[in-house]
Amino acid sequence: MVGSQSSLREANRARVVDAVKRHGGLTQVELSGATGLSPATVSTIVKELVAAELVEVRNTVRSGRRAQLVTLAHRVGLVAGVLVGTRQLTVAIADVSHEVLAEQVLPLPAEHRADTSLDRAALLVVDLLERVGSELDEVLGIGLGLPAPVDASSGQVTVRGILRGWDGVPVAQVLSKRLARPVFVDNDANLGALAESTVGAAREVHDALYVRAGHGVGAGIVLAGRVHRGVAGTAGEIGHVQVDPGGNICSCGSRGCLDTVVGDRALLEPLRSSHGHLTLADVVRLAGEDDPGCREIVADAGAVVGGVVAGLATSLNPELVVVGGALSTTGEVFLGPLREALRRRTLLQQVVPLEVVPAALGTRAELEGALALALQHTDLLEQQADAGPPGAVVVGQIGTGKGNR
Amino acid sequence: MRARTPLLALRQVSRYFGAVEALVDVDLEVHAHEVVALVGDNGAGKSTLAQIVAGVLTPSSGQVEIDGEPVSISSPSAANQLGVASVFQDLAVCENLDVTANVFLGQELRGRGGLLRDGAMETETRELLEHLTVRIPSVRTPLRHLSAGQRQAVAIARTLIGQPRIVVLDEPTAALSVAQTAEVLTHIQRLRELGLGVVLISHNLNDVRAVSDRIEVLRHGRNNGSYPATATHEEILAAITGAA
Repeated sequence: MVGSQSSLREANRARVVDAVKRHGGLTQVELSGATGLSPATVSTIVKELVAAELVEVRNTVRSGRRAQLVTLAHRVGLVAGVLVGTRQLTVAIADVSHEVLAEQVLPLPAEHRADTSLDRAALLVVDLLERVGSELDEVLGIGLGLPAPVDASSGQVTVRGILRGWDGVPVAQVLSKRLARPVFVDNDANLGALAESTVGAAREVHDALYVRAGHGVGAGIVLAGRVHRGVAGTAGEIGHVQVDPGGNICSCGSRGCLDTVVGDRALLEPLRSSHGHLTLADVVRLAGEDDPGCREIVADAGAVVGGVVAGLATSLNPELVVVGGALSTTGEVFLGPLREALRRRTLLQQVVPLEVVPAALGTRAELEGALALALQHTDLLEQQADAGPPGAVVVGQIGTGKGNR
Repeated sequence: MRARTPLLALRQVSRYFGAVEALVDVDLEVHAHEVVALVGDNGAGKSTLAQIVAGVLTPSSGQVEIDGEPVSISSPSAANQLGVASVFQDLAVCENLDVTANVFLGQELRGRGGLLRDGAMETETRELLEHLTVRIPSVRTPLRHLSAGQRQAVAIARTLIGQPRIVVLDEPTAALSVAQTAEVLTHIQRLRELGLGVVLISHNLNDVRAVSDRIEVLRHGRNNGSYPATATHEEILAAITGAA
């Protein structure tokens, strides 16, 4: 089939769709530059793709001239996902079929503050919407993830000191007031659990644990297909389980928490004399490149995390443990010792042995979860459309049951 | 991972303009895989220091070392040969030329008979932009059609021609939107991952603290403290304003 007309046309169509996906929105002239295809070919392919409802064409202005912006077809409306991390902010725009249209990462300083970071998040949402040629009013809802336990209705961090600079801020209200769109907030590990249990590695099972190991460690608990949050959103906060009674004081006020042993600072400190100043991303990369020191650090962290997860697994009897976060990208370096520690301490699970798998969505699980959170609320929003004004914060929580999908 | 000898070192460097003390006995070290931020008030000497490293200015006294060897960076082309590339505030890109021509400006690839190797330069530009995860649709777009952030990206990409080991960026996020700032900061992280030493000059403490390994404060042309990136906003601000 090599060289045949139809396979060439297929390949060219794929190139155009890829370019549109990568850039969010492109004019036909830019498409021709990006794909190397002639303007005439691009024009023909765009017409075909519009007819197939794969892309849309909208009017825009480029360098003062009117132009046609080609974007992926947005089905019904859009949702935005905002993931606030310890050291970076990720914002994505997706349509209701969960297709990500545009995405941007912004590095954040250590101990960033709610006012600056939320301001930047709001501006990024607007910038990305512009990139895909859309307006704010096409956005049905915004899902936001925070690296701390949160109150689902206000988005406020429920434990002081864990995410300094965000204490006492009603995150959902601040952002929904700013953008006049509904905002739904959850803990990042819960969002990872939501994504993995709906479209990821745990979609076939009812009871699962999602463990997120990055700058800190957290877990999302899926019971009977629903993410279990607990009364104040602190369910699954395994980063604050004590592992060393004589250890350092933790940001939560307790002593020797898991986070003080395998949190980013604890992981980087022992490498300082041999490796100099490293970031967590450096350690992950070096562990992948067979640097013995970094492998040792990551492997030991896996064993300690495994021990704590074993306690949780013994209490809850899940079928599957899904491991995500930056450390999981080192593969078996982290997962091997974690699995071994789990196996040794979950002897009760003999009928169905506990499986440990890497997150199917990789480090994207939390962001996908933020989008999924916004999407889950859109059904409800449509029903409420006549009842309340837009921009109202929806109080209460909607089930994440598999039947709702 | 960190070599003992710094990639770039300034030892007791001073620079006077008549009675003006722009820099007085300044020390600075930059290692491979490291982003060092230079912060300070207006007139603290940040840009003078960048220009000394870039070969635009020569120090009145003091020593510049590269790989531990004393060097004299007498001109920008000498800096280039020593593996130092710089992007200044005004970018100095050509609006009328396309992305490829700007990236290779003054260092064009030539084939037999001195003919320009357009194809090779385009391919290399595309690879460079890909490497930096830059989102520019076509390498044939004239610069005037690009956004401020994309121009900054082209200016950064240009520094990578000729495989430099040290990149100096003077106010790379000034006057950029948040999305564009996000892209530029991501490029800076990329440069670090590629193993380069980066000197980042900026007013924006938020941006600086997001991507730097170390923050060096200059005040009235003198060193006024060295801080890890985890230092708080207040500590650094205090050093800049002289409250510390």
